[in-house]
Amino acid sequence: MFAAIRAPSRRKELFFGVCLMATVMEMHNVQLHRGAFCLRVKQLSLASGYLYALEGENGAGKSTLLQLLALLQPPQCGSLIFDGLPVSFMPSSLQGLRRQITLLEQNPYLFSGSVRQNLAFGLKLRGVHGSEQRQRIADALAACGLQGFAHRPARELSGGESRRVALARALALQPKLLLLDEPTANLDAGQVAGLERLLVSLPQQGITVVIATHDARQPERLGGETITLSNGELKTGIFDGKRDYRPLNQIRSCSQLL
Amino acid sequence: MGYLTDSLLTAIELIIGFDVEVRMTAWTSLYTSSCAIVLASLLGVPIGLWLGISLFRGRRLLITLLNTLMALPTVVVGLLLFGLFSRQGPLGSFGLLFTPMAMIAGQMVLATPIVANYVLAAVAGADDRIINTALTLGATRLQAALQLLREIRFGVMAAVIAGFGRVIAEVGVAMMLGGNIRGTTRTMTTAIALETSKGEFAFGLALGLVLLGVALLVNLGLNQVQQR
Repeated sequence: MFAAIRAPSRRKELFFGVCLMATVMEMHNVQLHRGAFCLRVKQLSLASGYLYALEGENGAGKSTLLQLLALLQPPQCGSLIFDGLPVSFMPSSLQGLRRQITLLEQNPYLFSGSVRQNLAFGLKLRGVHGSEQRQRIADALAACGLQGFAHRPARELSGGESRRVALARALALQPKLLLLDEPTANLDAGQVAGLERLLVSLPQQGITVVIATHDARQPERLGGETITLSNGELKTGIFDGKRDYRPLNQIRSCSQLL
Repeated sequence: MGYLTDSLLTAIELIIGFDVEVRMTAWTSLYTSSCAIVLASLLGVPIGLWLGISLFRGRRLLITLLNTLMALPTVVVGLLLFGLFSRQGPLGSFGLLFTPMAMIAGQMVLATPIVANYVLAAVAGADDRIINTALTLGATRLQAALQLLREIRFGVMAAVIAGFGRVIAEVGVAMMLGGNIRGTTRTMTTAIALETSKGEFAFGLALGLVLLGVALLVNLGLNQVQQR
């Protein structure tokens, strides 16, 4: 049964994914204190292969929730379940989990060296070398419209270019869960549309995407489920795992299937 | 005036002629100081990195202590290690006193706080997103720290060069732990101090010029690195 779910065929995976509502990440009664701020999440489950928009005012705790989802910060209490297994915040077990989750910060940092070296960093850590590494770097650069950027010095790129490199760096890792902190802030309208098109296509590749946004209309454009944070408290997004909350693009791909 | 110019000419003659004594002492200096700075870097870089990125109680106290150690008088280090290495001392049975090994140990003690402090400053000045970025890309804490080190490599180089500048020019440790033994522990600084008092002014001057040349190279290197 398990083997069937994990079969390489995308069709099967989609089919079983819909039936079983496999979750990539669940949270139960989680609290994270950071100074005077407290993030409280009673329950949250992110189904695998879906897109979520995380909205809330400035200071509502969007970035903190993303850090928590990226397993960068252990919560003071509550439990996290990643891919069906409880997360223990022991460094030894955390390592393997963190390699399946990638967080793209609002102001991403690019390492000195070339764009290529930036993309290769995470791949090397995962033991991806040689032709596969080259292929994944080329694919990620192409997806972000960065053909020909491989040998450019990363620290000398413009703001918009460096954010696209950071996104390509995250995509090259093919994470199960991709977290983006306001990826479209300070981009012009054309760039926003291009980026949104790319983001919406990711769930079809089996990547669960969470996008923090302060743009009230973005969740609607992305067509995913909306998680709302207010004063550190999760308002909506208490999903019981039975409701059919497939984002539009997912439904489309499923209808082609059935 | 004639005395000074004559001495200077003799000194230049000694340097150009690759005088055996000058060569030997210059070599001893460079050898001991290089060994000392390699060991000090192996110790000081991790200390500076660790103090720079970890948060724990007493961290500020440790940093203050490290700053104090930076101003450690060379003769005090010499004195303490003399006590350790002398025959009646705890390490006396190894017979290390008045060997290059003892000088290397003393100079390492001098240079380690300097290297650590410079690295600490470089870490403090580094972008605070580096560690988190490496972590989000799947690095362990150690791999993230190593990536940080790679990002501040010029600061680390400056730390090593500054430490080297300190030990090549110091005289207290070399004198007290080395003992200025010709051919083994006579360094440029101890030779200048003692040969000049014996009336060998030109010889001292020759070594002084070589030492100045080394200092100049070190600072040129430091300048190059800091401009990056």
